[in-house]
Amino acid sequence: MTRAALRRWFWVHKWASLICTAFLLIICITGLPLIFRDEIGNWLDDSLPYAAAAEDAPAISLDRIAATARRMYPGQVIGNMFIDDDEPKIMVAMAPSWAAYNADRASAHWIKFDAHTGAVLKQSKSFGSDGHSFLDIMLSLHRDLFAGLAGELFMGLMALLFIIAIVSGVVVYAPFMRRLDFGTVRTDRSSRLKWLDLHNLTGIILLAWMLVVGTTGVINELSTPLFGLWQMTDVKALLAPLHGKPVPAESELSSPQAAFDTVKAALPDMTANSVVFPGSPFGSPYHYLVWTKGRQPLTARLFSPVLVDARSGKLVSIVKMPWYLRGLEVSRPLHFGDYGGMPLKIVWALFDLVTIAVLGSGLYLWTSRRTSPLAEAEAELVASHAAGPVAGSR
Amino acid sequence: MKSSAIRHGPGKLWRWPATLAILTTFGLLSALLGQGGLWWVLSWIALAIPLVVAVVCFQRQQRPVVAAMKITQTLNGSGP
Repeated sequence: MTRAALRRWFWVHKWASLICTAFLLIICITGLPLIFRDEIGNWLDDSLPYAAAAEDAPAISLDRIAATARRMYPGQVIGNMFIDDDEPKIMVAMAPSWAAYNADRASAHWIKFDAHTGAVLKQSKSFGSDGHSFLDIMLSLHRDLFAGLAGELFMGLMALLFIIAIVSGVVVYAPFMRRLDFGTVRTDRSSRLKWLDLHNLTGIILLAWMLVVGTTGVINELSTPLFGLWQMTDVKALLAPLHGKPVPAESELSSPQAAFDTVKAALPDMTANSVVFPGSPFGSPYHYLVWTKGRQPLTARLFSPVLVDARSGKLVSIVKMPWYLRGLEVSRPLHFGDYGGMPLKIVWALFDLVTIAVLGSGLYLWTSRRTSPLAEAEAELVASHAAGPVAGSR
Repeated sequence: MKSSAIRHGPGKLWRWPATLAILTTFGLLSALLGQGGLWWVLSWIALAIPLVVAVVCFQRQQRPVVAAMKITQTLNGSGP
Protein backbone atom coordinates (compact mmCIF):
# COMPACT_ATOMS: atom_id res chain seq x y z
CA MET A 1 0.00 0.00 0.00
CA THR A 2 1.30 3.44 -0.81
CA ARG A 3 1.72 5.99 1.92
CA ALA A 4 -0.99 8.18 0.39
CA ALA A 5 -3.44 5.26 0.32
CA LEU A 6 -2.67 4.39 3.95
CA ARG A 7 -3.26 7.98 4.99
CA ARG A 8 -6.59 8.02 3.18
CA TRP A 9 -7.69 4.76 4.84
CA PHE A 10 -6.51 6.07 8.19
CA TRP A 11 -8.51 9.25 7.62
CA VAL A 12 -11.62 7.14 6.87
CA HIS A 13 -11.05 5.02 9.98
CA LYS A 14 -10.57 8.06 12.20
CA TRP A 15 -13.60 10.02 11.05
CA ALA A 16 -16.04 7.12 10.63
CA SER A 17 -15.11 6.04 14.18
CA LEU A 18 -15.23 9.50 15.73
CA ILE A 19 -18.70 10.25 14.37
CA CYS A 20 -20.25 6.98 15.52
CA THR A 21 -18.34 6.29 18.76
CA ALA A 22 -20.58 8.19 21.18
CA PHE A 23 -23.70 6.53 19.73
CA LEU A 24 -22.01 3.14 19.58
CA LEU A 25 -21.16 3.46 23.28
CA ILE A 26 -24.85 4.12 24.02
CA ILE A 27 -25.75 1.12 21.86
CA CYS A 28 -23.22 -1.16 23.60
CA ILE A 29 -24.19 -0.11 27.12
CA THR A 30 -27.96 -0.35 26.55
CA GLY A 31 -27.46 -3.54 24.55
CA LEU A 32 -25.96 -5.28 27.56
CA PRO A 33 -29.22 -5.61 29.58
CA LEU A 34 -31.14 -6.26 26.34
CA ILE A 35 -29.16 -9.49 25.83
CA PHE A 36 -30.83 -10.75 29.01
CA ARG A 37 -34.20 -9.15 28.41
CA ASP A 38 -36.16 -12.37 28.86
CA GLU A 39 -34.51 -13.03 32.21
CA ILE A 40 -34.81 -9.40 33.38
CA GLY A 41 -38.39 -9.17 32.09
CA ASN A 42 -39.40 -12.29 34.03
CA TRP A 43 -37.60 -11.05 37.12
CA LEU A 44 -39.34 -7.65 37.03
CA ASP A 45 -42.71 -9.20 36.13
CA ASP A 46 -45.22 -8.69 38.93
CA SER A 47 -48.14 -10.62 37.39
CA LEU A 48 -50.06 -13.23 39.29
CA PRO A 49 -48.55 -16.73 39.08
CA TYR A 50 -49.79 -19.28 36.56
CA ALA A 51 -52.27 -21.86 37.79
CA ALA A 52 -50.68 -25.23 38.39
CA ALA A 53 -51.48 -27.40 35.38
CA ALA A 54 -50.03 -30.38 33.55
CA GLU A 55 -47.68 -29.61 30.64
CA ASP A 56 -50.15 -30.98 28.12
CA ALA A 57 -53.29 -29.59 29.72
CA PRO A 58 -55.60 -28.18 27.04
CA ALA A 59 -55.46 -24.43 26.44
CA ILE A 60 -58.59 -22.41 26.95
CA SER A 61 -60.55 -21.37 23.83
CA LEU A 62 -59.53 -18.04 22.31
CA ASP A 63 -63.25 -17.33 21.92
CA ARG A 64 -63.69 -17.33 25.69
CA ILE A 65 -60.63 -15.10 26.11
CA ALA A 66 -62.04 -12.68 23.50
CA ALA A 67 -65.42 -12.63 25.24
CA THR A 68 -63.80 -11.93 28.63
CA ALA A 69 -61.70 -9.13 27.16
CA ARG A 70 -64.73 -7.52 25.50
CA ARG A 71 -66.71 -7.82 28.74
CA MET A 72 -63.90 -6.11 30.64
CA TYR A 73 -63.70 -3.26 28.13
CA PRO A 74 -67.12 -2.86 26.45
CA GLY A 75 -66.95 -1.07 23.11
CA GLN A 76 -63.22 -1.53 22.71
CA VAL A 77 -61.57 -3.43 19.85
CA ILE A 78 -59.20 -6.38 20.09
CA GLY A 79 -56.00 -5.77 18.11
CA ASN A 80 -54.37 -9.15 18.42
CA MET A 81 -53.93 -12.21 20.59
CA PHE A 82 -50.51 -13.65 21.23
CA ILE A 83 -50.32 -17.29 22.32
CA ASP A 84 -46.91 -17.85 23.89
CA ASP A 85 -45.17 -21.15 23.19
CA ASP A 86 -42.77 -20.84 26.14
CA GLU A 87 -45.18 -19.96 28.92
CA PRO A 88 -48.89 -20.74 29.43
CA LYS A 89 -50.00 -17.20 28.73
CA ILE A 90 -52.22 -15.44 26.22
CA MET A 91 -51.69 -11.72 25.70
CA VAL A 92 -54.58 -9.68 24.33
CA ALA A 93 -53.94 -6.21 22.95
CA MET A 94 -56.91 -3.81 22.93
CA ALA A 95 -57.59 -0.20 21.94
CA PRO A 96 -60.54 2.18 22.47
CA SER A 97 -61.22 2.07 18.71
CA TRP A 98 -59.27 1.64 15.47
CA ALA A 99 -59.49 5.39 14.85
CA ALA A 100 -58.06 6.14 18.29
CA TYR A 101 -55.34 3.54 17.80
CA ASN A 102 -54.34 4.84 14.37
CA ALA A 103 -54.18 8.38 15.75
CA ASP A 104 -52.17 7.36 18.80
CA ARG A 105 -50.56 3.95 19.17
CA ALA A 106 -50.07 4.67 22.88
CA SER A 107 -53.84 4.35 23.38
CA ALA A 108 -53.46 0.57 23.23
CA HIS A 109 -53.23 -1.60 26.33
CA TRP A 110 -52.94 -5.31 27.05
CA ILE A 111 -54.32 -8.02 29.29
CA LYS A 112 -52.38 -11.15 30.26
CA PHE A 113 -54.45 -14.32 30.66
CA ASP A 114 -53.58 -17.74 32.04
CA ALA A 115 -53.73 -20.02 28.99
CA HIS A 116 -55.22 -22.90 31.03
CA THR A 117 -57.76 -21.22 33.27
CA GLY A 118 -58.44 -17.97 31.43
CA ALA A 119 -57.78 -16.00 34.62
CA VAL A 120 -56.52 -12.43 34.26
CA LEU A 121 -52.91 -12.36 35.52
CA LYS A 122 -52.03 -8.76 34.77
CA GLN A 123 -53.23 -5.73 32.84
CA SER A 124 -51.41 -2.69 31.61
CA LYS A 125 -52.75 0.80 31.66
CA SER A 126 -52.66 2.44 28.27
CA PHE A 127 -49.07 2.50 27.00
CA GLY A 128 -48.96 6.28 27.38
CA SER A 129 -49.95 6.42 31.05
CA ASP A 130 -48.11 3.32 32.21
CA GLY A 131 -44.70 4.96 31.99
CA HIS A 132 -41.69 3.22 30.52
CA SER A 133 -40.29 0.07 32.03
CA PHE A 134 -36.51 -0.30 32.43
CA LEU A 135 -36.30 -2.55 29.38
CA ASP A 136 -38.45 -0.14 27.30
CA ILE A 137 -36.00 2.66 28.08
CA MET A 138 -33.00 0.49 27.22
CA LEU A 139 -34.61 -0.66 23.97
CA SER A 140 -35.59 2.84 22.93
CA LEU A 141 -32.13 4.24 23.63
CA HIS A 142 -30.62 1.29 21.78
CA ARG A 143 -32.88 1.44 18.75
CA ASP A 144 -34.07 5.00 18.17
CA LEU A 145 -33.12 7.38 21.04
CA PHE A 146 -36.87 7.93 21.64
CA ALA A 147 -37.12 9.50 18.15
CA GLY A 148 -39.23 6.91 16.32
CA LEU A 149 -38.49 6.20 12.68
CA ALA A 150 -36.07 9.14 12.33
CA GLY A 151 -34.11 7.78 15.29
CA GLU A 152 -34.09 4.26 13.80
CA LEU A 153 -32.67 5.54 10.53
CA PHE A 154 -30.13 7.71 12.36
CA MET A 155 -28.91 4.82 14.52
CA GLY A 156 -28.85 2.65 11.38
CA LEU A 157 -26.57 5.24 9.80
CA MET A 158 -24.33 5.17 12.88
CA ALA A 159 -24.16 1.37 12.60
CA LEU A 160 -23.21 1.78 8.94
CA LEU A 161 -20.36 4.12 9.96
CA PHE A 162 -19.34 1.47 12.51
CA ILE A 163 -19.06 -1.08 9.67
CA ILE A 164 -16.98 1.40 7.63
CA ALA A 165 -14.77 1.93 10.70
CA ILE A 166 -14.29 -1.84 11.08
CA VAL A 167 -13.39 -2.37 7.41
CA SER A 168 -11.00 0.59 7.31
CA GLY A 169 -9.58 -0.57 10.64
CA VAL A 170 -8.74 -3.95 9.11
CA VAL A 171 -7.01 -2.20 6.19
CA VAL A 172 -4.80 -0.11 8.48
CA TYR A 173 -4.17 -3.10 10.78
CA ALA A 174 -1.72 -4.66 8.33
CA PRO A 175 0.84 -1.82 8.16
CA PHE A 176 0.66 -1.38 11.93
CA MET A 177 1.36 -5.03 12.57
CA ARG A 178 3.86 -5.76 9.82
CA ARG A 179 6.79 -5.96 12.22
CA LEU A 180 4.91 -7.14 15.31
CA ASP A 181 3.87 -10.63 16.26
CA PHE A 182 0.14 -11.19 16.70
CA GLY A 183 -1.00 -10.23 20.14
CA THR A 184 1.95 -7.99 20.99
CA VAL A 185 1.16 -5.44 23.69
CA ARG A 186 4.06 -3.04 24.24
CA THR A 187 3.77 -1.78 27.80
CA ASP A 188 7.23 -0.33 28.21
CA ARG A 189 7.17 2.82 26.08
CA SER A 190 4.14 5.01 26.52
CA SER A 191 0.61 4.40 27.61
CA ARG A 192 -0.43 5.59 24.17
CA LEU A 193 1.55 2.85 22.48
CA LYS A 194 0.10 0.29 24.88
CA TRP A 195 -3.43 1.41 24.11
CA LEU A 196 -2.70 1.41 20.39
CA ASP A 197 -1.65 -2.23 20.65
CA LEU A 198 -4.69 -3.10 22.78
CA HIS A 199 -6.97 -1.31 20.31
CA ASN A 200 -5.49 -3.24 17.38
CA LEU A 201 -5.59 -6.53 19.28
CA THR A 202 -9.15 -6.34 20.60
CA GLY A 203 -10.41 -4.90 17.33
CA ILE A 204 -8.96 -7.69 15.19
CA ILE A 205 -10.04 -10.44 17.61
CA LEU A 206 -13.62 -9.20 17.56
CA LEU A 207 -13.64 -8.42 13.83
CA ALA A 208 -16.10 -11.08 12.67
CA TRP A 209 -18.54 -10.66 15.56
CA MET A 210 -18.59 -6.85 15.30
CA LEU A 211 -19.18 -7.09 11.53
CA VAL A 212 -22.07 -9.53 12.02
CA VAL A 213 -23.73 -7.58 14.84
CA GLY A 214 -23.13 -4.25 13.05
CA THR A 215 -24.56 -5.47 9.75
CA THR A 216 -27.59 -7.15 11.33
CA GLY A 217 -28.05 -3.96 13.38
CA VAL A 218 -28.33 -1.90 10.19
CA ILE A 219 -30.83 -4.42 8.75
CA ASN A 220 -32.91 -4.35 11.97
CA GLU A 221 -33.04 -0.53 11.89
CA LEU A 222 -34.59 -0.83 8.41
CA SER A 223 -37.44 -3.05 9.61
CA THR A 224 -40.05 -0.25 9.64
CA PRO A 225 -39.45 0.81 6.00
CA LEU A 226 -39.12 -2.84 4.90
CA PHE A 227 -42.48 -3.80 6.42
CA GLY A 228 -43.95 -0.60 4.97
CA LEU A 229 -42.68 -1.58 1.52
CA TRP A 230 -44.23 -5.04 1.90
CA GLN A 231 -47.58 -3.58 2.95
CA MET A 232 -47.60 -1.11 0.05
CA THR A 233 -46.76 -3.78 -2.54
CA ASP A 234 -47.55 -7.45 -1.77
CA VAL A 235 -50.20 -6.90 0.90
CA LYS A 236 -51.93 -4.22 -1.13
CA ALA A 237 -52.01 -6.50 -4.19
CA LEU A 238 -53.38 -9.34 -2.05
CA LEU A 239 -56.23 -7.19 -0.72
CA ALA A 240 -56.91 -5.35 -4.00
CA PRO A 241 -59.80 -7.62 -5.12
CA LEU A 242 -61.66 -6.80 -1.88
CA HIS A 243 -61.17 -3.05 -2.17
CA GLY A 244 -64.38 -1.13 -1.49
CA LYS A 245 -66.29 -4.14 -0.15
CA PRO A 246 -68.01 -3.62 3.22
CA VAL A 247 -65.83 -4.36 6.24
CA PRO A 248 -67.23 -7.01 8.62
CA ALA A 249 -68.81 -5.63 11.79
CA GLU A 250 -67.80 -7.11 15.12
CA SER A 251 -71.08 -9.03 15.33
CA GLU A 252 -70.32 -10.70 11.98
CA LEU A 253 -66.88 -11.97 12.98
CA SER A 254 -66.29 -15.71 12.90
CA SER A 255 -64.58 -17.44 15.81
CA PRO A 256 -60.89 -16.60 16.34
CA GLN A 257 -60.33 -20.10 17.81
CA ALA A 258 -61.81 -21.66 14.65
CA ALA A 259 -59.51 -19.47 12.50
CA PHE A 260 -56.57 -20.62 14.61
CA ASP A 261 -57.57 -24.28 14.30
CA THR A 262 -58.08 -23.99 10.54
CA VAL A 263 -54.55 -22.67 10.12
CA LYS A 264 -53.06 -25.33 12.40
CA ALA A 265 -54.83 -28.06 10.42
CA ALA A 266 -53.64 -26.63 7.11
CA LEU A 267 -50.02 -26.26 8.29
CA PRO A 268 -49.30 -29.20 10.63
CA ASP A 269 -45.53 -28.59 10.52
CA MET A 270 -45.85 -25.02 11.72
CA THR A 271 -46.62 -23.41 15.08
CA ALA A 272 -49.33 -20.74 15.06
CA ASN A 273 -48.71 -18.15 17.74
CA SER A 274 -50.72 -15.04 17.12
CA VAL A 275 -53.98 -13.83 15.61
CA VAL A 276 -54.29 -10.28 14.31
CA PHE A 277 -57.94 -9.23 14.34
CA PRO A 278 -59.72 -7.67 11.35
CA GLY A 279 -59.31 -3.91 11.20
CA SER A 280 -55.83 -3.76 12.75
CA PRO A 281 -53.32 -1.64 10.80
CA PHE A 282 -51.05 -4.67 11.10
CA GLY A 283 -53.57 -6.99 9.47
CA SER A 284 -56.42 -6.91 6.99
CA PRO A 285 -59.90 -5.33 7.23
CA TYR A 286 -61.50 -8.57 6.01
CA HIS A 287 -59.42 -11.34 7.55
CA TYR A 288 -57.96 -12.82 10.67
CA LEU A 289 -54.23 -12.83 10.07
CA VAL A 290 -52.60 -15.80 11.81
CA TRP A 291 -48.81 -15.72 12.17
CA THR A 292 -47.12 -19.10 11.94
CA LYS A 293 -43.50 -20.16 12.28
CA GLY A 294 -41.37 -23.30 11.89
CA ARG A 295 -40.14 -25.59 14.64
CA GLN A 296 -36.38 -25.82 13.98
CA PRO A 297 -33.98 -23.24 15.51
CA LEU A 298 -33.73 -21.33 12.22
CA THR A 299 -37.26 -21.85 10.85
CA ALA A 300 -38.68 -20.79 14.23
CA ARG A 301 -37.39 -17.32 13.23
CA LEU A 302 -39.15 -17.41 9.85
CA PHE A 303 -42.77 -16.31 10.05
CA SER A 304 -45.51 -16.87 7.50
CA PRO A 305 -48.83 -15.03 7.73
CA VAL A 306 -52.01 -16.90 6.86
CA LEU A 307 -55.24 -15.09 5.97
CA VAL A 308 -58.58 -16.49 7.16
CA ASP A 309 -61.84 -14.91 6.01
CA ALA A 310 -63.26 -13.11 9.05
CA ARG A 311 -66.90 -13.83 8.06
CA SER A 312 -66.81 -17.39 6.71
CA GLY A 313 -63.78 -18.63 8.67
CA LYS A 314 -62.34 -20.17 5.48
CA LEU A 315 -58.60 -20.21 4.82
CA VAL A 316 -57.90 -17.69 2.06
CA SER A 317 -54.16 -17.55 1.53
CA ILE A 318 -50.80 -18.62 2.93
CA VAL A 319 -48.73 -15.53 2.21
CA LYS A 320 -45.18 -15.96 0.93
CA MET A 321 -42.82 -13.49 2.55
CA PRO A 322 -40.50 -11.53 0.27
CA TRP A 323 -36.71 -12.12 0.38
CA TYR A 324 -35.99 -8.83 2.17
CA LEU A 325 -38.23 -9.72 5.11
CA ARG A 326 -36.68 -13.22 5.24
CA GLY A 327 -33.30 -11.48 5.43
CA LEU A 328 -34.59 -9.29 8.25
CA GLU A 329 -35.89 -12.34 10.12
CA VAL A 330 -32.57 -14.19 9.83
CA SER A 331 -30.69 -11.07 10.96
CA ARG A 332 -32.62 -10.86 14.23
CA PRO A 333 -31.10 -13.81 16.13
CA LEU A 334 -27.63 -12.93 14.82
CA HIS A 335 -28.09 -9.48 16.35
CA PHE A 336 -29.82 -10.48 19.61
CA GLY A 337 -27.65 -13.54 20.45
CA ASP A 338 -30.70 -15.30 21.88
CA TYR A 339 -30.51 -18.54 19.91
CA GLY A 340 -27.95 -20.67 21.73
CA GLY A 341 -28.91 -20.80 25.37
CA MET A 342 -27.46 -18.90 28.32
CA PRO A 343 -23.78 -19.59 27.42
CA LEU A 344 -24.28 -17.80 24.08
CA LYS A 345 -25.86 -14.84 25.87
CA ILE A 346 -22.85 -14.67 28.19
CA VAL A 347 -20.50 -14.78 25.17
CA TRP A 348 -22.56 -11.96 23.65
CA ALA A 349 -22.24 -9.89 26.82
CA LEU A 350 -18.45 -10.44 27.01
CA PHE A 351 -18.03 -9.55 23.32
CA ASP A 352 -20.11 -6.44 23.99
CA LEU A 353 -17.78 -5.46 26.85
CA VAL A 354 -14.71 -6.01 24.65
CA THR A 355 -16.35 -3.83 21.98
CA ILE A 356 -16.66 -1.08 24.60
CA ALA A 357 -12.90 -1.52 25.16
CA VAL A 358 -12.26 -1.16 21.41
CA LEU A 359 -14.34 2.03 21.32
CA GLY A 360 -12.83 3.42 24.50
CA SER A 361 -9.23 2.73 23.45
CA GLY A 362 -9.89 4.32 20.06
CA LEU A 363 -11.33 7.37 21.75
CA TYR A 364 -8.29 7.55 24.07
CA LEU A 365 -5.92 7.35 21.08
CA TRP A 366 -7.68 10.32 19.56
CA THR A 367 -7.93 12.48 22.68
CA SER A 368 -4.27 11.84 23.60
CA ARG A 369 -2.96 12.59 20.12
CA ARG A 370 -1.39 15.97 20.98
CA THR A 371 -0.44 15.45 24.59
CA SER A 372 1.89 12.56 23.94
CA PRO A 373 5.47 13.27 22.82
CA LEU A 374 5.42 9.96 21.02
CA ALA A 375 2.41 10.80 18.89
CA GLU A 376 4.39 12.42 16.13
CA ALA A 377 6.99 9.68 16.15
CA GLU A 378 4.28 7.08 15.85
CA ALA A 379 2.79 8.80 12.88
CA GLU A 380 6.19 8.45 11.23
CA LEU A 381 6.32 4.85 12.36
CA VAL A 382 3.06 4.18 10.63
CA ALA A 383 4.20 5.97 7.53
CA SER A 384 7.46 4.06 7.46
CA HIS A 385 5.57 0.81 7.66
CA ALA A 386 3.50 1.72 4.67
CA ALA A 387 6.25 2.36 2.19
CA GLY A 388 9.69 3.85 1.90
CA PRO A 389 12.04 5.24 4.54
CA VAL A 390 11.09 7.59 7.34
CA ALA A 391 12.61 10.59 5.59
CA GLY A 392 10.13 13.16 4.44
CA SER A 393 7.52 14.87 6.55
CA ARG A 394 3.83 14.04 6.79
CA MET B 1 11.87 1.54 -1.97
CA LYS B 2 11.13 -1.07 0.65
CA SER B 3 11.54 -0.69 4.36
CA SER B 4 14.47 -2.76 5.46
CA ALA B 5 13.00 -4.03 8.73
CA ILE B 6 11.76 -7.59 9.23
CA ARG B 7 8.30 -7.72 7.76
CA HIS B 8 5.76 -10.43 8.21
CA GLY B 9 4.32 -11.71 4.98
CA PRO B 10 0.51 -11.80 4.60
CA GLY B 11 0.48 -15.43 5.72
CA LYS B 12 2.06 -14.74 9.07
CA LEU B 13 0.25 -11.43 9.52
CA TRP B 14 -3.25 -12.78 8.91
CA ARG B 15 -2.93 -16.30 10.28
CA TRP B 16 -4.39 -15.51 13.70
CA PRO B 17 -6.98 -12.92 12.65
CA ALA B 18 -8.28 -15.22 9.90
CA THR B 19 -8.42 -18.24 12.24
CA LEU B 20 -10.36 -16.27 14.85
CA ALA B 21 -12.75 -14.87 12.23
CA ILE B 22 -13.45 -18.37 10.88
CA LEU B 23 -13.99 -19.73 14.41
CA THR B 24 -16.38 -16.87 15.21
CA THR B 25 -18.34 -17.41 12.00
CA PHE B 26 -18.54 -21.14 12.65
CA GLY B 27 -19.70 -20.51 16.22
CA LEU B 28 -22.40 -18.05 15.15
CA LEU B 29 -23.77 -20.37 12.47
CA SER B 30 -23.52 -23.73 14.26
CA ALA B 31 -25.94 -22.63 16.99
CA LEU B 32 -28.30 -21.14 14.40
CA LEU B 33 -28.30 -23.93 11.83
CA GLY B 34 -27.55 -26.92 14.07
CA GLN B 35 -30.28 -28.77 15.97
CA GLY B 36 -29.21 -27.77 19.47
CA GLY B 37 -27.24 -30.27 21.58
CA LEU B 38 -23.73 -30.82 20.26
CA TRP B 39 -23.96 -27.88 17.82
CA TRP B 40 -24.64 -25.50 20.68
CA VAL B 41 -21.67 -26.81 22.65
CA LEU B 42 -19.43 -26.47 19.57
CA SER B 43 -20.73 -22.92 19.15
CA TRP B 44 -19.91 -22.01 22.75
CA ILE B 45 -16.39 -23.45 22.45
CA ALA B 46 -15.71 -21.76 19.10
CA LEU B 47 -16.88 -18.39 20.41
CA ALA B 48 -14.99 -18.72 23.69
CA ILE B 49 -11.64 -19.15 21.89
CA PRO B 50 -11.36 -15.48 20.75
CA LEU B 51 -12.04 -14.41 24.34
CA VAL B 52 -9.38 -16.78 25.66
CA VAL B 53 -6.90 -15.47 23.07
CA ALA B 54 -7.63 -11.89 24.18
CA VAL B 55 -6.97 -12.77 27.82
CA VAL B 56 -3.75 -14.68 26.99
CA CYS B 57 -2.40 -11.80 24.86
CA PHE B 58 -3.28 -9.33 27.57
CA GLN B 59 -1.32 -11.29 30.17
CA ARG B 60 1.66 -12.29 28.05
CA GLN B 61 3.10 -8.99 26.95
CA GLN B 62 6.20 -8.58 24.87
CA ARG B 63 9.49 -8.41 26.72
CA PRO B 64 10.47 -4.75 27.18
CA VAL B 65 14.03 -4.97 25.77
CA VAL B 66 12.98 -6.43 22.45
CA ALA B 67 10.17 -3.90 22.07
CA ALA B 68 12.44 -0.98 22.91
CA MET B 69 15.02 -2.13 20.38
CA LYS B 70 12.47 -2.46 17.63
CA ILE B 71 11.07 0.99 18.18
CA THR B 72 14.45 2.69 18.50
CA GLN B 73 15.63 1.07 15.33
CA THR B 74 12.53 2.08 13.49
CA LEU B 75 12.65 5.66 14.65
CA ASN B 76 16.29 5.87 13.58
CA GLY B 77 15.28 4.67 10.19
CA SER B 78 17.81 1.85 10.36
CA GLY B 79 15.90 -1.33 10.89
CA PRO B 80 17.69 -4.56 11.77
